[in-house]
Amino acid sequence: MLPRRPALQAVRSLATEVGAANNTLHAPTPPLSTTKSAVTRSKPLLEAAVIVNRSPTITRSPSRFEKTFFQYQSRIARALHNPFPYEFYFKQGSPLEAQFNIEERSRERQAFGRLTRTMWDTTEANLEAAKLAKEEVGKRATRFTEADKRKDLRSLDRRGERNLYLVTKSEDSSWSFPRAAIRKGEFLHQTAERALYPHCGVNVDTWLVGRKPIGLYKPAEPTEGHERLVFFYKMHILAGQVEPNGSSAVDFAWLTKEEIKGYVEREYWRGVKDMLSDS
Amino acid sequence: MFFSLLSRRCEHLPLRVSATSVRYSGRKEVLSDPQKEILRRVLYPANIRNRPSPVGSWRPDVSRVLQRAIPSVQAHETIERAWLLHKRHTRWKRNAELERKFECMRNAMAELEVADPRSFTEANRPEDPRARSVVEVELTKSLRGPERRAVEARIRGLFPREIRPPPDTPPTGGWNYDWKPIVPPTVS
Repeated sequence: MLPRRPALQAVRSLATEVGAANNTLHAPTPPLSTTKSAVTRSKPLLEAAVIVNRSPTITRSPSRFEKTFFQYQSRIARALHNPFPYEFYFKQGSPLEAQFNIEERSRERQAFGRLTRTMWDTTEANLEAAKLAKEEVGKRATRFTEADKRKDLRSLDRRGERNLYLVTKSEDSSWSFPRAAIRKGEFLHQTAERALYPHCGVNVDTWLVGRKPIGLYKPAEPTEGHERLVFFYKMHILAGQVEPNGSSAVDFAWLTKEEIKGYVEREYWRGVKDMLSDS
Repeated sequence: MFFSLLSRRCEHLPLRVSATSVRYSGRKEVLSDPQKEILRRVLYPANIRNRPSPVGSWRPDVSRVLQRAIPSVQAHETIERAWLLHKRHTRWKRNAELERKFECMRNAMAELEVADPRSFTEANRPEDPRARSVVEVELTKSLRGPERRAVEARIRGLFPREIRPPPDTPPTGGWNYDWKPIVPPTVS
């Protein structure tokens, strides 16, 4: 157990400086030390990596059970609801009214099956007028986009319901989140802000979430005798696209959580998986 | 949702929707402007069940369609329980994921405290969105036009307004790939 340095205590004694949120994060976990003794332990190299997240662009689609339940509840509501003031919203005899009546009749049939008594005016003249007045509704974008069909992993339109994360391929063909080493006098969240642009270009509209890291990765074998600590920061991408510089970042992909598992190294994945969203 | 309808008390009675005590007839002659008549009918609907159109307090064949909609008391209760179970499971899954994420964050902060106390203090410093440093104030004074708007739009400490709840369909243009920064960040 390493002795606490006096400098740390001086910092912590100023209660006003350290916020209330600090208390929950202040658990005195002993620092995990390797086989090196306390005296010869070298200062770890700090790196900030950035987990760039594209938030879902569309709502989650309901599961089969949810859809069936919603249909069941809609049927009950349709049986019990107060009547819709048709004549207030539709001018009597108008083609729009006829169109609405046709749609309502099909919806009723779908909910309750064929019933002998029909309540909607579907005279011949109205049906004709409705057919004439039928306009093509402006085409809306589909939920399963072109990028989904092509399975384009670099596209930001793919998998609209899910959270996509950016992974880059470095020159040694390993996939990971973009990272940068801390510089002298810099705060770690500033390193995180800096981590993306050298590898991925500046034509991305990003926003870093707060100043606290969301996770940590400690590789088992220390490189060059120094222990390396990689702190992960969460960042949102709001517009633009990544352009790898070709040297430090050769390729990139926007992947969901389970897709990342197939790309990164196993040890790295174990350290990183709990920070990512399942959905 | 509709539990009260199938309460034990009413089980032995034929399926009936409660009738209101007030019964008012519809006006037959048009006294005033038809628009006003329509509004009056909307606000004070006639509830005598003698018309094919369902303008009134309930639809005429409510018992029949309700019996179609709900298979039985037991089925309805089973469906309700299944739904609550489903909700409970999604809630557990969501909470478990949040707990895992928070644990990662807590561990990272604990390590950061030891590794870089300066960054740790800076991370814990409370952010006031209204605060402006001297450097920022000077910068905004010197900027004009779209640059100034770009700098002022992103308020440190607040979520950007581009982060919004997702709609049911993606935007017609798709993702904006052609975004260029107005104030390019320094790449070094």
